Amino acid sequence: MRVTVGLGSCGIAAGADKVFNLLNKELEDFTPCGASAVTGCIGMCYLEPIVNIDDDVYVKVDEEGAYELVKLLKGQKNNALSYKASAQDIELLASQTRIALKNCGVINPESIDEYVLKDGYKAAEKCLKNMNFEQVIEEIKTSGLAGRGGAGFPTWFKWNAARNSVGSEEKYIICNADEGDPGAFMDRAILEGDPHAVLEGMLIAAFAIGANEGIIYVRAEYPLAIIRLEKAISQARQKGFLGKNIFGSDFNFDIRIKAGAGAFVCGEETALIASLEGGRGMPRLKPPFPAQKGFKGKPTNINNVETFANVPWIIRNGGEAFAAIGTENSKGTKVFALTGKIAKGGLVEVPMGWTIKDVVFGVGGGIQNNKSFKAVQMGGPSGGCIPAVLENVTIDYKSLAETGAIMGSGGMVVMDDTTCMVDMARFFLDFTCKESCGKCTHCRVGNRRLLEILERICGGGGKDNDIELLEELSEEIKAGSLCALGQTAPNPVLTTLKYFKNEYEDHILNKKCTAHSCKPLLTYRIIPEKCTGCTLCARKCPANAITGTVKTPHVIDSEKCVKCGDCVKLCKFDAIVTT
Amino acid sequence: MSEIKLTINNKEITARSGQTILEIAALNGIEIPTLCHDERVEIFGSCGLCTVEINPHGGVSPRLFRACATVASDGMVVNTETERVRRNRTNALELLLSEHRGDCKPPCTLACPAETECQGYVNLIAEGKEKEAYDLIMEKIPLPSSIGRVCPHPCEDACRRELVEEPIAIAALKQFAGDRHAAEAISDGGNVYEPELNTGKKIAVIGGGPGGLSAAYFLRLKGHGVTVFDSMPYMGGMLRYGIPEYRLPKELLQKEIDVIKSTGVEMRNNTRIGSDITLGELREKYDAVIVAVGAWTSSSIRCEGEDLNGVLGGIDFLRESPDIRGKTVAVVGGGNTAMDACRTAVRLGADTVYNIYRRTRNEMPAEEIEITEAEEEGVVFKNLTNPIKIIGDAQNNVKSIHLQIMELGEPDASGRRAPVAVHGKEETLDVDIVISAIGQKLNPAGFEELNLTKWGTIAADTLTFATDLKGVFAIGDAVNDGAGIAVTAIGQAKKAAEAINIYLDEKCSKCSLPRNPYLVKDEKTAEDFKGEEKYLRVKMPHRSPEERRGDFKEINFGFSEEQAKREASRCLKCGCRQAMGGDISAFGVNTDCKLLNYANQYDVKPDKYNGLVHKRGVNTDIPNVNQNPEKCVLCGLCIRLCEEEVGAGVLGFVGRGYDTKVKAAGDLTPCENCGKCAEVCPTGALVKIRN
Repeated sequence: MRVTVGLGSCGIAAGADKVFNLLNKELEDFTPCGASAVTGCIGMCYLEPIVNIDDDVYVKVDEEGAYELVKLLKGQKNNALSYKASAQDIELLASQTRIALKNCGVINPESIDEYVLKDGYKAAEKCLKNMNFEQVIEEIKTSGLAGRGGAGFPTWFKWNAARNSVGSEEKYIICNADEGDPGAFMDRAILEGDPHAVLEGMLIAAFAIGANEGIIYVRAEYPLAIIRLEKAISQARQKGFLGKNIFGSDFNFDIRIKAGAGAFVCGEETALIASLEGGRGMPRLKPPFPAQKGFKGKPTNINNVETFANVPWIIRNGGEAFAAIGTENSKGTKVFALTGKIAKGGLVEVPMGWTIKDVVFGVGGGIQNNKSFKAVQMGGPSGGCIPAVLENVTIDYKSLAETGAIMGSGGMVVMDDTTCMVDMARFFLDFTCKESCGKCTHCRVGNRRLLEILERICGGGGKDNDIELLEELSEEIKAGSLCALGQTAPNPVLTTLKYFKNEYEDHILNKKCTAHSCKPLLTYRIIPEKCTGCTLCARKCPANAITGTVKTPHVIDSEKCVKCGDCVKLCKFDAIVTT
Repeated sequence: MSEIKLTINNKEITARSGQTILEIAALNGIEIPTLCHDERVEIFGSCGLCTVEINPHGGVSPRLFRACATVASDGMVVNTETERVRRNRTNALELLLSEHRGDCKPPCTLACPAETECQGYVNLIAEGKEKEAYDLIMEKIPLPSSIGRVCPHPCEDACRRELVEEPIAIAALKQFAGDRHAAEAISDGGNVYEPELNTGKKIAVIGGGPGGLSAAYFLRLKGHGVTVFDSMPYMGGMLRYGIPEYRLPKELLQKEIDVIKSTGVEMRNNTRIGSDITLGELREKYDAVIVAVGAWTSSSIRCEGEDLNGVLGGIDFLRESPDIRGKTVAVVGGGNTAMDACRTAVRLGADTVYNIYRRTRNEMPAEEIEITEAEEEGVVFKNLTNPIKIIGDAQNNVKSIHLQIMELGEPDASGRRAPVAVHGKEETLDVDIVISAIGQKLNPAGFEELNLTKWGTIAADTLTFATDLKGVFAIGDAVNDGAGIAVTAIGQAKKAAEAINIYLDEKCSKCSLPRNPYLVKDEKTAEDFKGEEKYLRVKMPHRSPEERRGDFKEINFGFSEEQAKREASRCLKCGCRQAMGGDISAFGVNTDCKLLNYANQYDVKPDKYNGLVHKRGVNTDIPNVNQNPEKCVLCGLCIRLCEEEVGAGVLGFVGRGYDTKVKAAGDLTPCENCGKCAEVCPTGALVKIRN
């Protein structure tokens, strides 16, 4: 009998480590299991902590639940139904097509043997023993795999460019694990749940381009990922999958880890390289592309974690099989991190070609508290929002780009009608402003000014021509910035302006926030019919803006009100509303 | 390297493969702006100014590229000046300027109607470079000794040293530089200021006052043939005939006129327009005419008895200096001319001198020092009085003046409290002479062809000073707002001279219409200077009232070298050193500051992006360099040059996003003190400290 506990960062945050320790302690001497094993995140973050007993899934397992499971395992109980995952949840999991996440939450990421049992390193072996680099690149080309980091550039093309780059024997493979979009954790889950898949993908890529050194640039904020990668690298070296004469060939390859300081801009290839070289994470001009002049000036291929994780599967199953999944222009699957107002938040992997609706209302389980779906922000701060009316747009690079959003690295922030779209744009711009490296005028100053205009609008100081100013400035920033961070930073503004211009107009002209989210634009009012005159709000108001005598309806003086919203939370009778 | 062909701005150009658009453009005389590019260092591409439009393969949808980083390819179609390109560049400049804090020009210069480089010459004096200071003043004011003495110095009113204790004595320092070098300029052997090559153009200047003389000087230096016509026996205009000797010794004025003459300006005195020669004749004989005749007609008191014998105009009195020994004199008016008249009357031996002014001392337009000195010399001030009637005797000689007692009412449009008659309160003074010093007007005789304003002045464009008559320009007291101060006439002379240069230059077909330059200005309060040590203004040494009231010898002794240096070193150096070294005028901006130059080439409106501006202050972290991060455009040239060219690498970027700044390393041992970082700085963010 096999007992596993999902010990990704998300599981640990939900208390899975306590459950794990408890199970270990209780089951140590219990022969049928030995003890519980570690596994990564299966993606159902809304159900953490998750414990698997063979094929049965137990969710939201707290301390009490852990004891229940111990009893169940020891035959002291017949079932632990209250912790068992619902059939619907299991069905939703099964409805996904899992390639990159294939082993996540299934195998023990700290055990190379479990990876090998799942055909691990078979693909690398096949490449090194039976294929030449051209065949490998050809296979990737057939698969149609495109960069999963966000830009969606054909992977084979980059490999080919690096392979054909002349002038140096010394080449590098870099894995970009500097996942930085707010609300995105696809790469973290893969690194924590299936690190060997990434190592194997890098090994295959290294063979294809002729690199002998690989570097994983991972953000220091992912300590667990780093620990598991370190273990995985060490195990792979022991097994001879890394090092000299891999699989008896004359090919040598090793991987090291570089922990980055977590600058968002270091996700940009040239900034990442600058950071690796010990410089300031600042993008430089392209060309030359990294495939020509990358790390230390040598040809370098950089792919994202998820891209590498797809590679072993493609080699094992053939490019055709991968290309059979998805749409005409976008092949395979995509991992998404569902966050925001989604009912079943977590990681999902779905085939290209699904609609937004399939994701949000299918695997995502719809909107929390049955509120109405307003929009989804795709691609993080660089992406854009897609309104609910476009929920039938299919997930593929082309269709998403047509909406003004992008596929991005996989962040999907779902919004309901309590989300103010101006404030949402402001939020993402605030992020990019803080993460700009400060190099380009348009990005450094332009985005800052864009943010200031948005802050002004949200704060009630919107001016008549602000919309035109936002549009004009956005256009110049996109044209005037050197790297994708600056070029895409205005996207949240432009897409919200495109689909929710009325909200901007409401803020600017009517000084109203229809989502009731921008506090400076709200007016607090007590409904006399509902107010019981309990005096609680009047006593707690920090501005002494509420007056009234006991058992008579109270009144808020809007002049004095500082719009802190405390009274709304305090009122037990829902008598205080905002307009 | 193989050859490629590409098109830039519809011109086919041959270049070598591997060259960037920026390099090719520069080789072909096409200017593309950039702040962050320098051949000595690697391409960086941060400023966003060198954008050009490129159809990569001759296609129809051009995109914006950075010229500094784009390698040209065969068949490329490049446009460097499309509307789209200019919009993107303008936007980049507006964004840079929206975070740019400082003063391109110091407040003193901005306040000066002649835009004199006050900060420049004050600091040259502080450094002991008097001749350089003199030369710098001469670029804007060719009469430094004279103007230093008579100017009411708006520059000092604007001086920020006032926020510490007292303004710099800018005018006295100008006088100092002028006194020490006007004589030398002549004795050095004539043409110290060498005119440019003769243009063959001839210009007539009507009026040899400060405006006319200055215009003549500026135009002569441009290589034009210039003749000044003046109706009086000597040149100098109001400086000679309206300013008393004790304020401006005529010998000094003549020296300065001689300097102007030495450049080759022809001067014809005793020539009056209308009677001796007509404006029409001058227009025919000369390529351009400047009218600078001043305002020489005293305004009348407009009260009964103004035609009596003994009623004189203020400037007529000053010019004629009549014998008034033992007489009682009433001078009406509160301006500088009135003070000049009062004090001249004292010196001419008047028994009693009254000043009649309808408001109080506080409202007097005359300079404070003039009023004080007049008081010291015994002038009796009859404030809050207004003449109702001048009473004569049987011979129609003035006998007395009847005054209405006034009080101050509500403030009028000018902000001054209007004088109101106190009903029934009147006063009579026995006087022999009444001098009307309440203003001067143009005498338009001889200039009938010119359009006049409703105030009776010549109407001229306020930027070019062109009149409605082709080729005729008009400046000074005679135009628009009428009588003002000498330095205003000199400022107008400079603008008119520049306008005439454009007017006379046939090749200058695209010389655009002038507009006021864009300049970055800062606001400062006393709070900003609270750490500044206090040094009081050096007092000008002068003669005692008892001694001076008996003669016309100059009152002030002028600064000694030590005093001048001490006073000059009080300057706070508000203006940007980068922007000052160069030329800023309504007709264009060309300074060492690339940002300012570009800002004026593009129609920037940075105000729309008003937002957070960092307040970081000046530091001296880099040896021998003043670093002002408030002016930094983050082009990174200093950092890159220090690292790539010098090999020291002591500068770097710190912070992220909008908070990014350039910072010197903690360990400066590798610094070679070469100052290249400051040399390469396109703005005034890094400036070498002068030794």
